[in-house]
Amino acid sequence: MKKHNDVTSLARDSRFERLSLEDQFSDPRNAVMVGRTGGTGMRRRLDPARPGSPDRARSLMHGIFTGEIQALEGAGRTCFDFEVGTGDDEVPFELKLDMARQCWDEARHCEISVKLGEWMGTEIGEFAETTVLFEAACNPDPVLRLTGVNRALEGLAIDVFNTMREFGAETGDPLLHFCEDWMLADEVTHVKMGSDWLRRLTEKDPERRSRALEFQRVVDKLFSGAGFRGEEEDSTIRLARRFRELAGFSTDEIDEISELSRQSRDEARARIAQRALTEAS
Amino acid sequence: MADAKKPRAAFAPWDRRELPGSFTVEETAKRVGHYKWVEMRLFEALGGWVPTVPELDVKMRLGTHTYHHAWHADLWNKRLPELREMNPERLTAPANDHIVEFFEAMTEPEAPEQTIEKLVGVYRVLIPAKIAAYTYHLNNTSTITDAPTIRSIKFILHDEYEDWTNGEMLLQSLIETDDEIERAAAQQIRLEKILLKAGGIVGPGSLGGESQASAETVGAPA
Repeated sequence: MKKHNDVTSLARDSRFERLSLEDQFSDPRNAVMVGRTGGTGMRRRLDPARPGSPDRARSLMHGIFTGEIQALEGAGRTCFDFEVGTGDDEVPFELKLDMARQCWDEARHCEISVKLGEWMGTEIGEFAETTVLFEAACNPDPVLRLTGVNRALEGLAIDVFNTMREFGAETGDPLLHFCEDWMLADEVTHVKMGSDWLRRLTEKDPERRSRALEFQRVVDKLFSGAGFRGEEEDSTIRLARRFRELAGFSTDEIDEISELSRQSRDEARARIAQRALTEAS
Repeated sequence: MADAKKPRAAFAPWDRRELPGSFTVEETAKRVGHYKWVEMRLFEALGGWVPTVPELDVKMRLGTHTYHHAWHADLWNKRLPELREMNPERLTAPANDHIVEFFEAMTEPEAPEQTIEKLVGVYRVLIPAKIAAYTYHLNNTSTITDAPTIRSIKFILHDEYEDWTNGEMLLQSLIETDDEIERAAAQQIRLEKILLKAGGIVGPGSLGGESQASAETVGAPA
């Protein structure tokens, strides 16, 4: 088995359809959203009172499911790709153990997500899969890989699970609330792992730490696109400050993600306005 | 009320543990180092295979088992300093070159069509060999002086039996044709031959026999 695979190595059965992030963003059906979102073109908070919310929740649950598969695959590869040692392309034994533990956690999350998907009325393959998570998990530098996956993407998972947990409470779905709460506990642990290893592995290498944090910013911004995640009342995914603090994020770091999300939302608004102007002329 | 002053035997009548055992401290440390090496290679392989397997149930099961074997490696890593090996990395080694060759052959299948070959290597060859070596150790070490190793082996064997069953059931559900039976058998034969040359997962003496350096029981009263 060769080390350091890329995204093409992901094996799936015939139910899965893969979609690039570019294709997802340039989907012409997104234009329909403009009419549904008060002319902003941006998705709003999952509100049980809105007629489209069950479909959106099912779609989000399917996205969680495919994200969990890739998180499992990424943690598995981190167990395999790096030898134990102190070099920049090596990792401590205990880091590999943490990644193995994460494999088990992500496998459980896959199981939970499949069952929740069925509970919510969707099935595997009903929505397309994007592979950004696994792409971040292919970074050849273990510190960048862990920062991108365990801090940026697992951090996003904290926000997503908290949002779904609240949606479960609002819709009176105790099973959804119960399961999301358990998964949220695991994600806080995974993000804390990422924060701890970033600090330990870059203790004497500030340049490497800043590269890792920059990689995290890139991934964070990607997933804050078009106001998808933010602190505004109507953000689809709300930034879960309390749980991020438990996972080792400082207030400054959370403020920075919030600011990235705001910038991303403003940029999306500007793009939509520009498109409207172009179409009008 | 029981008489607090009444003398009782140090060992209860049903407690049949004995002092003699087949392994010295040094031999135990060496064996434990080999166990750790095997558990590490196994959890790395299972984790590495996760993305390459298209069957969703297998993919999730491999993720769970990855952690089991990592936990076993951690148990052995913690046991080594207790056996006077203050540099656990020194003894974290394969028993011989054939066991390295075995792991190379076992992890060779990579393509998504080779799930059967992947599972056969682990669940029909390696895990049965691990169960054999662990059980031999469990049955031959001193039940009093080496109690910590026994406790770890018992936890590990619990996982091994369960994982073995899981893996075998996955295989039986995947194998549907004569050709697939032959593929599974061919992989098993290939790997068994290499493991035979290795002498088992900790080399000759995995199951005792002539290669066990101290075949006589250590600590037996003269």
